[in-house]
Amino acid sequence: MQRGSTATSAYLFIAPALFILVLTLLLPAVLTIGMSFTNVTFLRPTRLVGLQNYITLFNDYRFHQAVWNTIVYTVGVTIPTMFLGLLAAVAVNRRFTGRVAVRTIFYLPALTSLIACATVWLYLYEPHAGPLNGLLSTLGLPRQLWLQNPNIALGALMVVSIWRDFGTAMVIYLAGLQDIPEYVYEAARIDDAGSLTIFFRITIPLLSSVTFYLLIILIVQSFQVFGLIYAMTGGGPLNATSTIVFQMYQTAFGFTRFGYASAMSTVLFFTILLFSLIGAWVARKLRV
Amino acid sequence: MATIKHTGGALFQSGAERFLAAALLLFAAAVTIAPYLWMLSASFKTGQEMYVFPPTWLPTAPNLGNYIEVLQLPYAGQQLVNSLIYAGGTTLANLILCSLAGYAFARLEFRGRNALFALVLALLMVPTQSQIIPVFLIVKHIPFAGGNDWLGNGGTGLLNTYAGLILPNAATPFGIFLMRQFFIRVPPEYEESARLDGAGSFAIFRKILLPLSRPALTVLAILSFQQAWNDFVWPLILTSTRDMGTLQTGLQLLHSGPDTRWNVVMAAAALITAPMIIVFLSAQRHFIQNFASTGLKG
Repeated sequence: MQRGSTATSAYLFIAPALFILVLTLLLPAVLTIGMSFTNVTFLRPTRLVGLQNYITLFNDYRFHQAVWNTIVYTVGVTIPTMFLGLLAAVAVNRRFTGRVAVRTIFYLPALTSLIACATVWLYLYEPHAGPLNGLLSTLGLPRQLWLQNPNIALGALMVVSIWRDFGTAMVIYLAGLQDIPEYVYEAARIDDAGSLTIFFRITIPLLSSVTFYLLIILIVQSFQVFGLIYAMTGGGPLNATSTIVFQMYQTAFGFTRFGYASAMSTVLFFTILLFSLIGAWVARKLRV
Repeated sequence: MATIKHTGGALFQSGAERFLAAALLLFAAAVTIAPYLWMLSASFKTGQEMYVFPPTWLPTAPNLGNYIEVLQLPYAGQQLVNSLIYAGGTTLANLILCSLAGYAFARLEFRGRNALFALVLALLMVPTQSQIIPVFLIVKHIPFAGGNDWLGNGGTGLLNTYAGLILPNAATPFGIFLMRQFFIRVPPEYEESARLDGAGSFAIFRKILLPLSRPALTVLAILSFQQAWNDFVWPLILTSTRDMGTLQTGLQLLHSGPDTRWNVVMAAAALITAPMIIVFLSAQRHFIQNFASTGLKG
């Protein structure tokens, strides 16, 4: 076969997939940046506005709150998710009866769609008929307005995220644990290392690249939280649960200010890109 | 860590410690599964029992009324069809496009291969949720679709269509990467004799490599199906009519009104959740292993 025809078929094989990727990933990324310098909307002709959107953004009190909420949410979800995922992985990595059942239970929330999770938790948090307040009343404790109280609504959403994601963290940690060779543990046992010493001196350091990978993935994912907020609180009460992507959605599809929303999206895009690049860089360092 | 007789080896040693560890694990499992149990319990309750105080843990007179009501909801059948088309179409598109591209990147030599593959890897990092506005505008302005002119103006493009639903997910950098990694590990001897017989690239792909790649295709299929079946944000933004909504947007609408009947909503949630759990339980081996080696799906 001639080289030429192989190359032609190679391009033909790649073209459809690459077309989709360019149309729905590369072009949008470029467009977002471009649109952020315009006032594009459906209502009037578009014109360039320079840095106006960014200036407005940096003085927008509601955007500041959304950024703050996003940071609180990201930190508050990422760390507990990883911690619980690690504990669960270490626990189900041992052999005991019912191990597969426990592992499956921990993984169930990750299989459940976001909206089904949100729906079930809306019912659990329901102020009057909800089981959580029923439980509190049974215990003689005061009921809570879980999603209606601005001081606890964001926390209540974070609980749902942690519940949904720690099973995924567990599965990734399990893969990491299975990569640790048994002889490392045997050597430690011969040296009479205690169980906690083994955990902190062997297991955790040998999992550091997995931990790092998870950290980046969870940060990138949490920074973009939207569906949960849309379905459970709509950003309320009093913007207490409004995040960057939620506000971007409102600005674009609620107020049709696509240019301004693109500026928000661009800020988010570069923040996330920065985290991804740091992640890729550190991951490479760790492996070498 | 296997069972160890030597002291100082396992994480939990004495009987008391072991009992405590088991109790903690059991408690964690109970807390994790509690929302599902509450969901199921509520789904079998009557409307009256939902407002009994204090709430009953188990339905006093379990009945299937809520499930029957959900199945008879207007649009329930249509939404199921839409979800199946969205998830099935996305899966099929990914299997074809990603395996073709993955094969070319792994096995064929052509100019610009490394550069194009680097582009695919770079696109892995693009955060999809933050790109939803331009993707919406692009899908709306596809030329000649939905009454658009050749510049993509004037009509609604692919909004409210199956093609619009599937298009942004029809191929993913992750899928291409997964398939390439698989094809690279297949020994070249498999295709050599066919190549000597004068078989073309596509024939080799179709007759030799594709049948070998069933494990990778299974993973890709499960992940693509799960992603689209569970997706909420894209159907929410793309579809504006009820008859084009999916089960996920339908479930959201079901509890967005003022007087939510939670027993009916919980029956709907249970029905939507069940298929993925059944798929998981029947393919658990593939799921855990390959999820583990491929990482999170965002």
